[in-house]
Amino acid sequence: MKDRLRDALKSSRADYREIRVERTWSSAVAFRGRRLEAATASEDVGGFVRVLHKGCGWGVASFTSLDRLPAMVARAGELSRAVRLDAPIRLAEVFPREADAVLDLDGDVRGVPLAEKKRLLEAYNGAMLAVGDRVVDTQASYRDEVSEVWYANSEGTLIYQLRPEVVLSGTAIARRDGVIEKGLESLGYRKGWNAAQGRETGFRAVAERAVALLDAPGVKGGTYPVVLDPELGGVFIHEAFGHLSEADFVYENPQAREMMTLGRRFGKPVLNVGDNGAVAGLRGTSPFDDEGTPTQDTALIKDGILVGRLHSRETAARLGERPTGNARALSFRHAPIVRMTNTYIAASRGGGTFAELIKDIPLGVYACGAFGGQTLLENFSFTAAYGYMIRDGHVAELVKDVVLAGNLFQTLDRIERVAGDFQWNQMGGGCGKGGQFPLPVTEGAPHVRIEEALVGGDVAA
Amino acid sequence: MIAELLGAVRRRAQGGDALWRREERTALAFESGRLKSATTTEEAGVNLRVVKDGRVGVAGTTAADTATDGLLDRALASAALGEALNLTFPPPSPLPHVPTFSDGAANASLAALIGVGQELVARLNRDGCQLNVAIEREVSETEIANTAGAAGGYRATGVGVGVDLTRIAGDDVLMVYDQYVGAALPSAADLDALVRSVTTRLELALTVVEPPEGALPVIFTPAGLAAILLPLEQALSGKAVLQGVSPLGGKTGERVFDERFSLTDDPLAAGRAGSRPCDDEAVPSSPLRLVEEGVVRQFVYDLETAARAGTTSTGHGRRGIFGKPGIAYTNLLVGTNGQPATDAWQPGGGLAAGLRNGLIVEDLIGVGQGNVIGGTFSHPVALAYRVERGEITGRVKDAAVAGNVYELLKRIGGFGSDGRWLGTRFAPSLLLEGVSVARR
Repeated sequence: MKDRLRDALKSSRADYREIRVERTWSSAVAFRGRRLEAATASEDVGGFVRVLHKGCGWGVASFTSLDRLPAMVARAGELSRAVRLDAPIRLAEVFPREADAVLDLDGDVRGVPLAEKKRLLEAYNGAMLAVGDRVVDTQASYRDEVSEVWYANSEGTLIYQLRPEVVLSGTAIARRDGVIEKGLESLGYRKGWNAAQGRETGFRAVAERAVALLDAPGVKGGTYPVVLDPELGGVFIHEAFGHLSEADFVYENPQAREMMTLGRRFGKPVLNVGDNGAVAGLRGTSPFDDEGTPTQDTALIKDGILVGRLHSRETAARLGERPTGNARALSFRHAPIVRMTNTYIAASRGGGTFAELIKDIPLGVYACGAFGGQTLLENFSFTAAYGYMIRDGHVAELVKDVVLAGNLFQTLDRIERVAGDFQWNQMGGGCGKGGQFPLPVTEGAPHVRIEEALVGGDVAA
Repeated sequence: MIAELLGAVRRRAQGGDALWRREERTALAFESGRLKSATTTEEAGVNLRVVKDGRVGVAGTTAADTATDGLLDRALASAALGEALNLTFPPPSPLPHVPTFSDGAANASLAALIGVGQELVARLNRDGCQLNVAIEREVSETEIANTAGAAGGYRATGVGVGVDLTRIAGDDVLMVYDQYVGAALPSAADLDALVRSVTTRLELALTVVEPPEGALPVIFTPAGLAAILLPLEQALSGKAVLQGVSPLGGKTGERVFDERFSLTDDPLAAGRAGSRPCDDEAVPSSPLRLVEEGVVRQFVYDLETAARAGTTSTGHGRRGIFGKPGIAYTNLLVGTNGQPATDAWQPGGGLAAGLRNGLIVEDLIGVGQGNVIGGTFSHPVALAYRVERGEITGRVKDAAVAGNVYELLKRIGGFGSDGRWLGTRFAPSLLLEGVSVARR
């Protein structure tokens, strides 16, 4: 394959050429209630070519028939020449390298029969159903994948990567009369079959919580001190802040650049945020991004001040900054664009425990887990999976319908305390941008305390 | 390819069906008013379903180098685990004619497509705004066949033109978006409508006004209706009924909505993005009244859900290359005529004139989160305008709307004269009374 890539690159005289070829084996099992919905195995193969002629724009081709590789290199060249640009596209320099990055397959999923995978998921699904009659419906899914990716460009970079992935998810629906509640379990690893074992406890816990929520009151809407658990804190920083730190949001837009000026204060000195594509074993992890740039730990907010952003080679060159290894593509069907990898709020040194974080809150909300979240630039809305009231410095009753809404800048600035209990949330799902979904990412945070935020399930009229 | 595959299926299983699809896409991206990239995509693949010993299995591949046997082996392995299901494949039958292919779109040169983008850039570029234009042209070929002898095939074109304008002033971010989608290239009138829609929305949004508060009349524009229609789309799925989670389950024949409210799924609408002569399971297409004059008439089914529910497929099976077929709508129409209005660019379609104090909702944040099918929603606004004494006075920020779709649609305050297509949905603006509006 490496020779095929080298030959195809040589066939074009464009100023810059790159080729990615992928082969992915995957299997998936899904249960709905006691019924198996599907158990399937698939194979996906394809290639991607991107070409740049001087003074022109990108010419791009993607295809499923690898025999078409030479033809598609030529076609991408024609497309590039058809795109005339006054301001040329430049790419920041990346040292060319040849590397084989073979990750540990951790029990190669390709060697495990589909029937075994069905048995494993049946057990997890059964753990949810066994919680009792109140659990009226469940959804459980297992998905695994092993991908081989070859990447080569005309500057001499030639990289082969082999990477596994395994994702488990479970939804338990509890119902009593007209009241319906759900619990959600989601696990994802850049690992293999071994990582999928021994997960019953988590599945049982979400079903038990769904049942408990049937009796929980809805949170009373209003403004409270709010403590986010590490899962919600991670989702928050990814959705509400992370996307703004992607340089393609600012590089062509002077006003956006002004809003995201490095050196601007974004929070109190306790706030430290970064993105690290090089942590071992997380879903957002990869030794190289999809332009062959090594991944790294990039500081975004340091002591409350905006200090960095995430780059592709193109956005880095445009802003005169260094590439950060954040150019990622969902698959051969897509061009690499600036994406997060593993995004985090760092633990605060001496930040203490969760108990210390809440001990002086007379009345507040402890928001846990995430059912979903959306940001529209400076505005966000997050639905917590569940929550608890905090009363007189202690965790009190379980509450439901905890929706947090607000303005990003205000909310970041109101993060007043960050605990020391950092953890990565190794979840399934993924991030969506520019039609590329779901891209594997991970988020992490310690417990985070916001001095004041609007909480509402029901918007009072 | 499919005939050979089904021949092998007949030898090794009781039955099966397969879909082969080939797509060729050309996409242009104008960023900040400049053409930045041109992309071509070629993709082909096969999705195969088999029934063996009364059990159903599925497999898919894009790997052209995989032998037919490999795909069939995987489908049979999948079937060995599957639950028993009395799945019957539709027999041969004539397919209706529906225009899905435009020679003009299929043959349009790269230069012609670039020209469309350049025209939009020239007409929409303005200081202080970032303008992105995306143009996509797809040509596809589909073949579907089963072991009962049914077969269908068609060619289709799809053209999408999307425009978004982003204006950032200080920490205020404003985004205005609109699109054209159809089988043919956009006409001059289509481009005029797009330009007019985006400019009008942007200009109305430049002034920021205080949000109103209370239980108020709110106009949901064709774009803003997504939050209102999503619960109905979920509730009218035969799968939701089968699982007992549809609030409309068992209500066939009951008047549940305002008697002026109708919802139709029409796979035979000429030249629309969701149109096709048969679904992805070779079931012939026909228009389906889901809600007629406020009365629930019909739920949508694919083959599997129909078999489980003991009914027949309504022709709403959709399948990708991977995974098993599922239920999907084609073109969804609020009302039935699907004839775009001439003043579709005006937010609210004339309904604002009758309001003393209210809101026009164009876009909401977080649609699809939470317990959608139950009908209760609560969303911050992404783009909304205030209406005072019949006039649109400006854009509202920091406000949220909430309510229950089933309650609100019992009595509709009015239908706008701005019916239009948005992707695969046709709707006018709807005026709903008593929507709760809160400031944040």
